[in-house]
Amino acid sequence: MSSAGTGTTVSRTRQSETAAGHLGPKGRRRGPRRPPGLPWILPAFVFVVGLIYYCIGYTGYISTLNWDGVSPNPKHVGFANYTQAFHDPVFWDTIRHTVIFFIVTFTVQTALGFTFAALLHSKVKLPNLYKVIIFIPVVLAPATMAPIFRQIFSANGQFNAILSDIGLGSLAHPWLAQSSTALPVIMAITVWEWTGVTFILYFAAMTQIDKEILEAARIDGANGVKVLTRIVWPNVRGTTIALAMLSVIGALKTFDVPYLVSLGGPNYATEFLGTLIYRVSIPQAEVGYGAALSILLLILSLVGALAFGLRGTRRN
Amino acid sequence: MFETRRLSSKVILQVILTIMVLPFLFPLIAMVQESLSGQGWGNYKAVWATGVVPRFFLNSTIIALGVIIIVYCLTMLAAFGFSKLHVRWKEVFFWMMLAALTMPEVVLLTPLFSTAVHLGLYNTYASVMLPLAALQIPFAVLLTRNFVNSIPDELFDAARVDGANAALIFWKIIVPLTRPIAAAIIILTLIAAWNDYLLPLVFLQTPSTQTITLLPSFFVSEFSDDQTKVVASAVITAIPEVIAYLCLQRLFERGLTAGALK
Amino acid sequence: MRKSPNAGRRRRVIPAISVLGFLVLLLTACAGGSSPGGSKGSATSANLTWWGWTPSVQVAQQYIKAFNRKYPDIHITYKMLTIAGYNAALRPALASTVGPDVFDVAPGGANGSVETYGPDAVDLTSAVQKALGSDWKSKLSPIGVSSMILNGKLVGLSVGAVYSGTVWINKNLFDQYHLTPPTTLEQWASDCATFKAHNVGCFVQGVGQTAFNEDTLQAISDNVKPGVWAKAIQGQVPWTDPTIVKALTIWKQMFTDGIMEKGALGVQQYPDANNDFLSGKYAMVMMGTWYMQNTTTAGMSAGISGAGVSSPKNFTAIPILFPDVAGTGTTGALYGDSDYGIAVNTKSSHQAAAVTFATWLGTSTAGQQQVADALDDIAALKGVQPNWPTISLVQSGAQQPVLSKLISGAVTSDEPRLATVSPDLQLAIGSATTTVASGSATPAQAAAALQAAAAKLPNHGAVG
Repeated sequence: MSSAGTGTTVSRTRQSETAAGHLGPKGRRRGPRRPPGLPWILPAFVFVVGLIYYCIGYTGYISTLNWDGVSPNPKHVGFANYTQAFHDPVFWDTIRHTVIFFIVTFTVQTALGFTFAALLHSKVKLPNLYKVIIFIPVVLAPATMAPIFRQIFSANGQFNAILSDIGLGSLAHPWLAQSSTALPVIMAITVWEWTGVTFILYFAAMTQIDKEILEAARIDGANGVKVLTRIVWPNVRGTTIALAMLSVIGALKTFDVPYLVSLGGPNYATEFLGTLIYRVSIPQAEVGYGAALSILLLILSLVGALAFGLRGTRRN
Repeated sequence: MFETRRLSSKVILQVILTIMVLPFLFPLIAMVQESLSGQGWGNYKAVWATGVVPRFFLNSTIIALGVIIIVYCLTMLAAFGFSKLHVRWKEVFFWMMLAALTMPEVVLLTPLFSTAVHLGLYNTYASVMLPLAALQIPFAVLLTRNFVNSIPDELFDAARVDGANAALIFWKIIVPLTRPIAAAIIILTLIAAWNDYLLPLVFLQTPSTQTITLLPSFFVSEFSDDQTKVVASAVITAIPEVIAYLCLQRLFERGLTAGALK
Repeated sequence: MRKSPNAGRRRRVIPAISVLGFLVLLLTACAGGSSPGGSKGSATSANLTWWGWTPSVQVAQQYIKAFNRKYPDIHITYKMLTIAGYNAALRPALASTVGPDVFDVAPGGANGSVETYGPDAVDLTSAVQKALGSDWKSKLSPIGVSSMILNGKLVGLSVGAVYSGTVWINKNLFDQYHLTPPTTLEQWASDCATFKAHNVGCFVQGVGQTAFNEDTLQAISDNVKPGVWAKAIQGQVPWTDPTIVKALTIWKQMFTDGIMEKGALGVQQYPDANNDFLSGKYAMVMMGTWYMQNTTTAGMSAGISGAGVSSPKNFTAIPILFPDVAGTGTTGALYGDSDYGIAVNTKSSHQAAAVTFATWLGTSTAGQQQVADALDDIAALKGVQPNWPTISLVQSGAQQPVLSKLISGAVTSDEPRLATVSPDLQLAIGSATTTVASGSATPAQAAAALQAAAAKLPNHGAVG
């Protein structure tokens, strides 16, 4: 591969050379010029689809049964499980919670992860220490942290103690005992747990930004915030879209934190589809209903992810 | 990212960073305190005294390595294919893979179990490695594809004009340039595999194959729950992951110089 | 770019192969529905696997060691699963050919439900007849037997039972503040006020974990009018019965009178409430006979240091009767079920040896003495009391008489606790307790909602 000299200039020349006769109607290169990609994606595709799609098919079949998962004679009920879901007020609670959860956690995690990544790409002291602190929550099993968080947010726990220390004692609540405040706690714990992931992905994406562009902007007099919003943020758009898609799916599937910390309570205030599916499938042994909910989860996830994914590809 | 030539901006950045990081630190301190309460270091001694820690560590490592290798190889190939090569119905393939990500693990247990038994894989590492890898790949492909998208097309055209075939392009361009995202997906895959609890619980029968996530169960019984030792187990479990993260940090930095390859 | 001549053909072949591969996987997974039944094997020599969520690993090893003194050639590997993971792991295992030989079952709708897994278990009636004779039913505690029978089949042999209805107090704290254990609602509230004035917690309950709320509600209901609760479960009496509504009203009063701790809805019984009591932060907790393990010096120290206290100082934990909160004078109701039983997998290839183990643990004096001495469960075999001289209690003078009385009283009780409650009904009862506790429903409304939910369930939500 020949050296490209001073990067941008030469590549622009190359682009105009090849652009002339071979741009398709959408401005993209047409197929035959690119090597076939099918053999490259097939291993992953067959592996994933082969292993998981049987399970999806199985779940779809089970969703038409009224079954406890063990007895040899399940009853076929067609779509009754789905209508049961639509009439189940707890199901709609979970949808509502998921929407709120997704909006809040995605926004906060993105803001925090992006800011941390930007800050840690600058010359600060002890960067590895900060990186480790942000990252350790990702690594810890939620099962271990759940009792600790219950203790922290209990009526006489550390969080209320800190509030009264800084003079906000009147805001002290038994956070997890009230339907109104339990969901924000679950969201806070989730943000604590997952910001590390947003951080490392933005950090990785920022490594691709050309340093010269940043320098040029600084020379032109742009301050830090402007550089961040005008150059860095648009440049990591792909990561943001990917994170949005993953967050939608994650929000719908979320199980560990709401189940282990508050058991979906109090009174279903922190119930999510993930916890509902678990409760219905395992302790209540209504495997058919659980399967129907899982299929609904799959459909909602795809719709949500598509909503973000298509927005991303349209701009491309 | 931020300009840090003046001392005042250096200080401001450091202060902002520290304040932002404090809420992340407090629960970690609470956790370490909990692991040292009661019997203090005796908790760690008690965890070690179960005698299973080295074996469980080994099993978790084997499984994690297996999953990482499968995920890394298949993801890199697929991301390259999705991003830079021609595939008819590319998006259909992609979204079909993404759909696999949406299944909660608890729902997958029974069908995966019957598959594992019929393939004779029950109580083997493969019965845990394969599903874990299959669940991680869509997520990794999504991220890597996006990263590879940002590598300018001109690089590939230049290479093809010079006569390189797809395999050579993959090896000489993709693999080196994707180090930052590779580091990210390796770490995230490692965490998913290392921390997975449900699959090893169901598929690994004998103690000689069980993983580190089963360690806390030694201290929890029907009517007693020794949290101090459970948290000590969690700390022990977390240490290798943090070490791996620190080691992979260098790969993130390498990415910065990779741009010069142009 | 040159296209190889086979490229077009390859393009069609590859998707075909992948579809084929997928179908092969699908077919191998679908094929082979029914597996062959197990075989008997030798009754005295085998390698067995035992899955359970209880007892703890240490206690199980004790049982196995004692078992091996009589049957040295039967080697047992105990796999302890968590309570939360038990059903999830057991269901696919029993459906396969590689499940455990011996597994825990329990009455009611929670873990290892007798009703759910009964079909996978061997009928142990002939084995127990051989061990105890034809009048075996009279030799075992009634609760343990009736809850293990499904459609005439003895699904498991109960190892021991647990009973609820007691409240455990920290006697040292009561003595320190010159208080006596409460016997009425008013006294309970005033005791709590005194404790609070000295910055000591009074009564701790994990209201967020509804199974234990059911215990408390049953205690109150039995105090208001005995027998109504059991009838309501069977659907013979509606849940809107005045007794139940009164019970829910008193339940609510426990919150308004300051007996329940602040933020109780956000607390779980294990580990939170348990740790709070053992670390001396609270003076009372509602636990059942399983809490006897905290009366021994070793058990209490382990519990206290497990609760995070660095130099554990044992205190005297004593069970008291549930206070006469309704003022009716009828107290002392104890209700329980078999804690767990041992079932033998029909697909096991070592059925005879597995039956040997189940019979030993559930019916032999040697096995049952082990169970009684562990002080977790109350032995299923009648007449087996813990060997008190060998057990080191924290304060045996104060504790031993109370414990003996508790055990002998419990064994005569035939009121079920969770055995007859299906998981759906348990969920509905739990909802009633939490909606009343949070104030989002009045006792009358909660009772009506509970009745509506129960009416929709098969057999009113009762099982067995």
